Amino acid sequence: MERDLATLEKGVRCCSWNYCGQRLAVGYADGSVAVHDSADPSSTFSRSSKWMVHACGIMNIVWIPPEFGDAIACLCVDGTLSLWEEVGEDVHSVSWKQCKVFECSDPRVLEVQFGVSSAYLKLVAAYSDGRVKVYELLDALDLNKWQLQISPIQFSQDLVFAFFDTKFKIWEFEEARQRWLPVAELALTEDKDDRVHAVAWAPNIGRSYELVAVASCKGIAIWHVGLNSEPDERLPAEKVALLSGHDGEIWQLDWDMSGMTLASTGGDGMIRLWQSNLNGIWHEEAVLDCCGGQ
Amino acid sequence: MPGRPSDPDSAIVPFSPMAEDVPLFPVRHGLKPPIFRVFVSWSRGSHLQVACVCPRDESLEEKADGDLGDEDVGGKVLEVKLGTSDANINEAKRRWIAYGSVPPFALLQGRRNSLAAMSRISSSSTFIDWWKHVLEYSQSISELLGNTRLQSTAVIEDPKLVLERVGEPTSLKAAWQLIEIFYVDRHSFSGLAESVVDWLAEFDCLLSEKDTTVSSKLVKLQEQLVNLQVIEDDPEYWEGISSALSVGWLEVVVKLLRLHGSYQLNQLDSRETENGLVEAVAVLVSTMPCLHHDFPAGKLGQYYRTKPDFVKAWEKWRGQISKLDCSAFWVQCGHRQTREGLRNLLQIMLGNINNISAAVFHWIELLVPHLLFIRPLTAGFEEFQGLAQKCMQIKFNNTPNGLVRLFIGILGENTEVVLAECSKSFGPWMVTHCLELLTADNNQNKIFLHEERYNLGGISILELHRLVYAQVLASHPLTSQIAPTYLVSCPKQGLGLLEILLCRQPVQHHQIILKNLEICRLYELDGISSCIKKIAGIYHWKHGRKGAGIYWLQEARDEATLNHIAHHLFESIGRTISDESFKQWEGLIELLGPDVGSAGGLGFLHTYRDFKKSLKLVESGRTSDVARQAIEALIQLLKSPSTPQRFWFPLLHDSLKLLNWRERPLLNVSETNLLLNKLQELSMAKLRPDFCSTELQPNVLSSVRLALARNLSRAFLEE
Amino acid sequence: MAGSGGLQYYRLPQYKSVDVVRWLRPLSAFDRFIAAAVHNPDVVSSAAIEIFSLNPKPNTENPDHDKLLNLRSSWPSPSRITSLRTSESSRKHLVVALSTFAGSVYFLYVDPVDASIDLELSVDEERPLHSGPVSAVDIQAGGYECVTVGEDGRVNLVSVCQATLESRVLHDSRGLVSYTAAKWGSQEEFATGGLGFGLQWWDRRKAGGLVSQFKGNWAQGSMTGLVHSIDIYPSRNHICVVGGSSGMVLAWDRRWQQQPIFLSGGGLTGTGQATSESDVWEVQYDIGTQTSGINSAPTSKIFPVMMCSEDGILAVVEQGEAPIELLAEDCAINSFDINPQHPSEVVCGIEWESIGILMRQRESLSLLTET
Repeated sequence: MERDLATLEKGVRCCSWNYCGQRLAVGYADGSVAVHDSADPSSTFSRSSKWMVHACGIMNIVWIPPEFGDAIACLCVDGTLSLWEEVGEDVHSVSWKQCKVFECSDPRVLEVQFGVSSAYLKLVAAYSDGRVKVYELLDALDLNKWQLQISPIQFSQDLVFAFFDTKFKIWEFEEARQRWLPVAELALTEDKDDRVHAVAWAPNIGRSYELVAVASCKGIAIWHVGLNSEPDERLPAEKVALLSGHDGEIWQLDWDMSGMTLASTGGDGMIRLWQSNLNGIWHEEAVLDCCGGQ
Repeated sequence: MPGRPSDPDSAIVPFSPMAEDVPLFPVRHGLKPPIFRVFVSWSRGSHLQVACVCPRDESLEEKADGDLGDEDVGGKVLEVKLGTSDANINEAKRRWIAYGSVPPFALLQGRRNSLAAMSRISSSSTFIDWWKHVLEYSQSISELLGNTRLQSTAVIEDPKLVLERVGEPTSLKAAWQLIEIFYVDRHSFSGLAESVVDWLAEFDCLLSEKDTTVSSKLVKLQEQLVNLQVIEDDPEYWEGISSALSVGWLEVVVKLLRLHGSYQLNQLDSRETENGLVEAVAVLVSTMPCLHHDFPAGKLGQYYRTKPDFVKAWEKWRGQISKLDCSAFWVQCGHRQTREGLRNLLQIMLGNINNISAAVFHWIELLVPHLLFIRPLTAGFEEFQGLAQKCMQIKFNNTPNGLVRLFIGILGENTEVVLAECSKSFGPWMVTHCLELLTADNNQNKIFLHEERYNLGGISILELHRLVYAQVLASHPLTSQIAPTYLVSCPKQGLGLLEILLCRQPVQHHQIILKNLEICRLYELDGISSCIKKIAGIYHWKHGRKGAGIYWLQEARDEATLNHIAHHLFESIGRTISDESFKQWEGLIELLGPDVGSAGGLGFLHTYRDFKKSLKLVESGRTSDVARQAIEALIQLLKSPSTPQRFWFPLLHDSLKLLNWRERPLLNVSETNLLLNKLQELSMAKLRPDFCSTELQPNVLSSVRLALARNLSRAFLEE
Repeated sequence: MAGSGGLQYYRLPQYKSVDVVRWLRPLSAFDRFIAAAVHNPDVVSSAAIEIFSLNPKPNTENPDHDKLLNLRSSWPSPSRITSLRTSESSRKHLVVALSTFAGSVYFLYVDPVDASIDLELSVDEERPLHSGPVSAVDIQAGGYECVTVGEDGRVNLVSVCQATLESRVLHDSRGLVSYTAAKWGSQEEFATGGLGFGLQWWDRRKAGGLVSQFKGNWAQGSMTGLVHSIDIYPSRNHICVVGGSSGMVLAWDRRWQQQPIFLSGGGLTGTGQATSESDVWEVQYDIGTQTSGINSAPTSKIFPVMMCSEDGILAVVEQGEAPIELLAEDCAINSFDINPQHPSEVVCGIEWESIGILMRQRESLSLLTET
C-alpha cells in the first residue's frame, strides 16, 4: 500500500511539497534547507540540493505559486523570513539563490502564505504582535521587488484568512477601495477563546459554498461559507460538523483535489481521513497509524 | 470513498454503516518510535504523500554513543495509496481494464448526448430503446473483464476431467454480470431464471473462499478420481453427482455417471440391470427440457424458446422420471450405493426439496434448483425475491463475501447497498461503470442517482462517483490521461476538477505539457491552456532555457511577462553585442518571430539586431548604403513604442559614427528632429528621481548632441 | 484483433508504459526483432530496453497474443529512455543507441541471431552529455557514431572509440535555443529541429557546424509549434520531412529554402489536408507503399510519409493525395517504426501500455523492396 519515496536526514523541522507534489523542501533545525525531487512522476525522490538559509532552525517552508517559478519562503524560529529561488542565467548554472530577506527580529513573523489574484502575487505575513502585513510583487520575474500593501492569512481566489490568535476571521480584499474587510468570523460565541491550530480551504470545483476546516483544541470544525455576501457585507457561515479524533494538538489539515476528503495529522501520530456521507454527515473514513514503526 | 449509504433499513440483511469500525492501516515507515511530526500532502488524486519525522537528536545524545550507525535516518517520505479495490486483480490488470473501458463508456455518453439533443428537437420518446445501448456497453465491458466460459469442446477429451475452465473467473466479472442480469436485462424477466442458472455455472467457485461449494466439492472429487478403484462405492462420487445435478451442470453429471463401474466391459454381463438404470438416468439428465432464449451449442438438455413447448416437454419428462422411479428394476439392482444414488438423483429432478437441500451448500446454489426443478416458470422479480429469501433461511451463510452481499443488495432492491458493496469490494472503477447499468431501465434509480444534493455540494450520486473514480485515475501517471473522459461527463463539477488536475501537472517535459494541452484543446479549456503554458514558460526561463521559456510565454500570449523579459534580453544583447557570443542570440531572436503582436514587447529586438548587424558592417568599412540601413533601423527603433526609454541613449551612442558620416548626412531633417526630441526627453527624464541609468555621462551626451546638431545643419543645406 | 481492408492488426498489452519502439535487422530473413523502451511507474528503476522476437505468421484462426511476441532479452536502464534508434554495425552486431532523461547515451550490441545483448557502451555517467533530458538521438548507418540534441541547447557527437563512447560538443547554445529532434542526412551532415518549427542543417566538417536554418515563420506567425520528428531519405537528402505540433507534416527542400511543402495540417494555408489536429509524434518515409522505383522519380517528388499522432491516428500522407488512414486508436500512438526489411510491417508504441503490430498486405509492397 505504501511506497518509499525518500529518506531524510536527522533534525527535520518541517516539510513542504510544491504544487504538483514532485518537489519536496525540507527545513532542518540547524537552519539548512534541502530540496528533494523526482525526475518524472513515477520515480522516487532524490536530493538535488541543500544549503544554509539562516543560523537558526527553519520553522516553516511555503512554496510560491508555480506561475512565479520554483521558489520557497523560509520562516525561521527567530522570525526571519527569506525567499529563495532556483534560477540560472543559462542551463549550466542553475542553483538556489536568495532573492529577498524580510525584516526580522521584533515583532517576529509567525506565519506566511501566498495568494494569486489577477496576475499579482501577494504575500501575507502574520506577526507576533498580532498584525498582518500584505506585500505585493511588483515584477513577475523578479522576486526581489515587493511592496507593502496594507494589513490579514491564506488566499483562495481573493479571500484571505487570519488565524494567529483565538479569533478566526475571513477577510476579503476589495479591489475597488483597496482595503481589507473582515467578511466572516468562523467561531461560535462559546468557542471564542479556543486557539486555532490550523486552517484549510477546500478547493472549490463548483460547490455553491466554500468549505473550510478549522482545527482548534476542541477538534476540527467544518464550515460552509457562502459565496455571496449578505446586506451587511458579511458572508453567511455555518458550522456543519465538529470532528474529534486527535487527542492532542492538531498539526496539519490538507484537503484533496476535489475537496471531498480532508486529511488531518495530530499529536497522536495518526493521519485521519474525513469524508461526508450522502446525507452530509461527516465521519472518519480511515486512520493511518504512523506511530508503529514496523 | 464517499457515498456510504444513509438508510440501512430496507435491506433484507441489515447493512449498518455506523456499526463498522473505522479501518486502521499501519504506515510501515521503518522508523523507530516516537515520531516527532507527520506531514501530509495530497499529490494528484487519491495518493497521499506522508513524511514521518523523528525527534531531534537531544534524546539520542543521552544514549550511549556507538550504536548510532542506523540512526542517521531522520525521517521517511512515503506515498500511501488509498481506496479499496478488488485484491484479486493486480495494478497492471486494473489499468488495462481502465483503458479498455474508456471507449465503451465514451460511446455510451456520446449516444446519450446525441439522444438528448434529438429529443430536444423532436419530442418523440427516443429513450425507449436506451437499454439496448446499455446492454451493448455492458457486453463490451464484460468482454474486457475476461472470457471465462466453461469450455464445452476440448480437443483431446480426458474422460476423467469433469471440470474444465478457460482462465480464472473473477469476482469483478461475476459482479458485473449479476448487475447486468438484474438491471439491464430486467425488461424480460422470462430470462432471469436462465441467466441466474448460467451465471452460477460460471461463477459458483467464487461464492465462498472458505466454505464448501458445489464447485469446490467437484474439484476435490476430481482429484480423487484418479485414485479411486471402485468409484461407485465411494459416497463422495454420488454426492458430487447430486450436487452437480442440483445446480444443473448436466455435462458433469453425465460424464460422472459414465465413469460408473458397470460400464466396464468385463462387468457388463453381471451388472446389466445396474448399468441399464445408470444409463437411463444419464439419458433423462441429458434430455432435461430447458427454457432458454438461445440454443447453446454443445450443451446437454432440450432447449425450448416458448413456454407452451417447454411445459409440454417438461410434463413428459417428469412423467418419464416418475415412471422410472416406480420401476421394478430397482429391486434387481444389487449395488446399494448405486441404487440409492440414482434414486436420489431422480428425487432431485422431481424437485424434492430435502434431497436438493442436502446436495447443495450455499443459498444461491439452493436457489438454482428451485429455478430448474421446482418452479421452472418463475417469472417475476417478486417471485424470484421470495424464492431467494426462502433459500437464505434454509442455507444461511454467516460470512457472505462481497459478491454474495452484492447479490443480497440486488435482491433487496436497495441501490445504496448495491453501490456500497460495489465500492467496498470492487472499488471505484466498478461503481462508476455499473451506475450506467443501474439507471438503464429503472426510473426510480434514475431519479435517486441523478438527483442533485446540497449535501454533496450540489452534485448527484452519479457525478460524485465519477469524480471519485477520476481522482483515482489521476493518481497514476499512466492513467491520468483518461481521467478527463470521466470528468467531462460530470455536468456540475467535472470541469472544475479537470482544471485543478491540469494545473497540478508537472511542466518539466515537453511531452507531458503537450499531452495536457491536447486535453485543453479537446475540451476548450483555453484559460487552463494558457495557465499551463505560462507556468512552463516561467519554469524554462528561470532554469536557463531561455528559448523554451520565451516560446511557451509567447504561446500563452503573456505580454506582461514578455515585456519584462525584453528588458532582460536587451540588457544582455547590449552587453554582449561586440562579442562573438552575439551569434548565440541569433537563434533566440529568430525564435521570437517577425510578428510584434505575437512576440509581445520583444519585437523591437529584431530591429535592434538588424541595427547592430549593419553597424558592424559599417565598422568593417562598408558603403553608405549599409550605413543608411543602420540609420533606418535606428529610426524604427526610436519610433517604436515598445523600445524601452533606457535603451535610447545607448542606441544614440552606438550610432555616433553614423551621425558624423563623412560623405553625406545620413539623416534628413525630420529624422534628425526626432532624434533630438528623444535626446531632449532623456535629459528631462534624468531630472526625475526614479531615473536609474548610470551610463548617461555628460561628455558623451554633449558629443551626441553636437553630432545631431551638425547633421541637422548639413541636412538643411542638402534640402 | 484482426483489421479489415488488407490490414492485420494486433494490440498486445505490455502492462507497462511503452515509450519507443524500433525494429532491429536480424541476420535471418525469417526473424523479426523489435526493441522497445519501457518503464513501469509503480516499480523503482524499471526503465528498460526489451527485445522481442515476433512470430510473423500467427495463427489467424486463433491468435494467441502472448505467443506473437516473445521476450528475448532485456537491459535495465538507469533512467527513463527518451529516444531510441537502431542500426547494424560492421562488427556483425545490431546496435541500439538510446538516450535517457538523465542526459546520458548508451550503445547496446545485440546478437543478430538470438537477440541477446552482448555488450553495453556508455559515456562517462558522472558527466552527462546534456543537463536535463536528451531530446533525440540518431545513429549513423554502420553504428559507429550518433548525434544527440537536448533542450539544454547542446548538439553532441558521440562515437565508439576503443570499447568506450567518446563525445564532442559540436554546438552549445547554453539553453538559448532548445532542440527536440535530430536525423542524419549523410555521413557528415544532419538535421535538427526545435521550437517554433525551426530546422537546422549541420555539417560537422564546418566550424561551428551550422550550415543553414529554416525559420519558424512557416505558418505566418499565428501557429507555432515544436518539431517532434524528422526523416531524410539518404539518396535525396536535400528534402527533410518533418512532423510536429498541430498535426503538421511538411517537407523542407533545402534547394527552395523558404517554401515548405505542407503534407498535412498547415492550418491557414489550406494546401495541406489535415489528417490530425494534434501533435504528430513521429514521421517516416513509407517506402512500403511506393509503387514506382525511387530512383526514377523526379528529385523534387516527395515520397509518401507515414505519421502517428496524439489522437491515435496512423496514416500515410502524400503530396496532393488524400491521406490513407491505417489505424485510428482510442489513445495516442507515441511512436512507430516501419520494418526496413519488410516494409509491410509496422510496429507502434501505444499510450495504453501496449505494442501494436500492423501487417499490410503484400500486394501493396513496392517493387524496390522485392528486389
